[in-house]
Amino acid sequence: MKLISGSHVHEKILALMLIIALTVLSMLTDKFMTVANILNQGRLIAEIGLVALPMTLIIVTGGIDLAVGSVLGLCAIVLGLAWKSLGLPLGAAMAVAVAVGALAGCFNGLLITRMRVPPLITTLATLALFRGVAEGLSQARSVRGYPEWFFFLGQGEIAGIPVQVIILVAMTVLFWFLLAKTTLGRSLYAIGSNEVAARYSGIAVDRVKVLAYGLSGLMAGLAAVIFVSRVSTTRSDMGTGLELDVIAAVVLGGTSIFGGRGTIVGTILGFLLIGLLKNGLALTGVKGDATIVVIGLVLILAILASNLVERLRDG
Amino acid sequence: MQTKRFMSAAVAAALAWTSMGHAAWDGADDLPTNPLPCDGGGGSVAAKPYDGGTPSGAANMAGKKISLVDVPKLIGIGYFNATALGMQQAAEELGNVDVVTDGPTEANIDDQITFIDNFITQGVDGILFAANDPVAIAPVLKKALGQGIHVVGYDANSQPDAREWFVNQAEFNGIAKSMVDAMAAEIGDDGKFAIVTSTFTTPNQARWIAEMEAYLAKCHPGMEWLETVEAQEDNVLSFNQATTLINKYGDDLDGLFGMTSVATPASAEAVTQAGECGDIAVVGLATPNAMKPYVKTDCVRSVVLWNPVDLGYAAVYVTRAVVDGDLKPGGTSVDAGRLGTLQVINGSEILLGAPYVFDKSNIDGFDF
Repeated sequence: MKLISGSHVHEKILALMLIIALTVLSMLTDKFMTVANILNQGRLIAEIGLVALPMTLIIVTGGIDLAVGSVLGLCAIVLGLAWKSLGLPLGAAMAVAVAVGALAGCFNGLLITRMRVPPLITTLATLALFRGVAEGLSQARSVRGYPEWFFFLGQGEIAGIPVQVIILVAMTVLFWFLLAKTTLGRSLYAIGSNEVAARYSGIAVDRVKVLAYGLSGLMAGLAAVIFVSRVSTTRSDMGTGLELDVIAAVVLGGTSIFGGRGTIVGTILGFLLIGLLKNGLALTGVKGDATIVVIGLVLILAILASNLVERLRDG
Repeated sequence: MQTKRFMSAAVAAALAWTSMGHAAWDGADDLPTNPLPCDGGGGSVAAKPYDGGTPSGAANMAGKKISLVDVPKLIGIGYFNATALGMQQAAEELGNVDVVTDGPTEANIDDQITFIDNFITQGVDGILFAANDPVAIAPVLKKALGQGIHVVGYDANSQPDAREWFVNQAEFNGIAKSMVDAMAAEIGDDGKFAIVTSTFTTPNQARWIAEMEAYLAKCHPGMEWLETVEAQEDNVLSFNQATTLINKYGDDLDGLFGMTSVATPASAEAVTQAGECGDIAVVGLATPNAMKPYVKTDCVRSVVLWNPVDLGYAAVYVTRAVVDGDLKPGGTSVDAGRLGTLQVINGSEILLGAPYVFDKSNIDGFDF
């Protein structure tokens, strides 16, 4: 069987599962496999995809970033306040928000590399910290009343395609190139496979890690701007629980939580499988809580299948 | 979670320890008040033109079977189970309505939007919602209106133009009247009381306190306000603040108002532990489940809220009336089955009626 030979076994299994899921769902309801629905879904889940890209890089190094949802919330608040309270032009406020995201990410990276605090602990702490700052800054008040042009990012479209989907595709290509084709990408894999060896091979491990976490913050900032534009208001609880959706997509995509293995293609497949499954099940009338159960089962199934195939091949 | 709360509280306190809008009572806002008449009855309602939205090209389903979806803030909690129950009761009575309740498992604006968007794609006749955010939900609701789907809100409103009608469970002056009347019944027209609120600037609480002040001045002028204390919405802090009030005023204190669903049970607990049950009355906004222990020991006699079963019930009746053409923009009332005729207020809102007072006789009938 061709499936089990060659590389990228997990990605092939995922692609197969995706095709099966799409086929079954489109047989169950004619509302699912329409261009309008798929593009609309892209609009609704693009933020998860944007954050899943740098998360792949981080998990490839054997790290994790639990703070992404809180960074998104913080950036959203910063965007609103910089514009409304500080009186910056909205364009500048958007840049400030993304920059704050990048800084927050670098702060994580520095804590992890300089203080030697494990990523899980560091980002668990900053998950609380950033959300707390966001809530404190916002004073539980929303910032609203953005000008019409601002909604282009989150609610507009170019040639019928939602703007954020185009951004996501561009970013996917960028991150794919970064991880698969550059020295930096190979450094990430090296760190994840064996950090000590990577260090002795002359890789600037700390700098690469800080960069990865910084990118994660930056993308969370970008996602925040898009999110605010999509829902036309700013709230401090935005992005709550985002980290779980993102990590689920990355891990389903075959990135090893122990580091050293994983691809952007896998992440995107995992992201699409979860997103479209959720949508398809909702359209066939499956209730929200049952959908979560199905997603959980699919995660387990995908990982079992991939392990089984690898054992068959190796054994 | 604790850390998060603490952090936000600390930062909030540090950042904005500035303005405390000073009406006569601490914790009241300075917006105009509109106290209800002392004897019951509706009070003056300023007429306001219809400001809701209109679905474009909705199919005429008058009298025909319609399928509705209900997207509450979140599912799986007692409160929204109760609203969903009311909807099923209404659907059963009407016989030509199907209602399905589904929504996010956490009160998350993004998930709620996704649910509504999927229901639009699925194709339904009407959407009932309780918004997690009045502005964030507006684009997707407008999308529904744009596709000819009827949209009616309950419990938590959206921007008026993003839905047709909103079933308002209680107006500020109605809650204020129920609270003050209940307190007066317990401590008499010359009693002295203190208030435990969240913060002096929390919008809903500040509004209620301002309306209570106005209603008290009008209808129970002999009662005396002692102090308002802030307790965030924190269980321990609420308990400590209530205990401090009990110790500070001693026999002078006849009653405590709890302005949040946290402050009320915490105040009741403080009164219980101080051995002052029967001497200090506790009246407040709270959910029945939190108050059952205190109501059963007679430490608390009245818990003010609204009946969420009736709220859901009314939302379905309103939607049916809209579909049938019985409730049109400009209408002033709507027939809502066992609830009788409900009044239109504020242009495009339907008032559920007077707040519901839970007491020993009825509290066991509710589970939320």
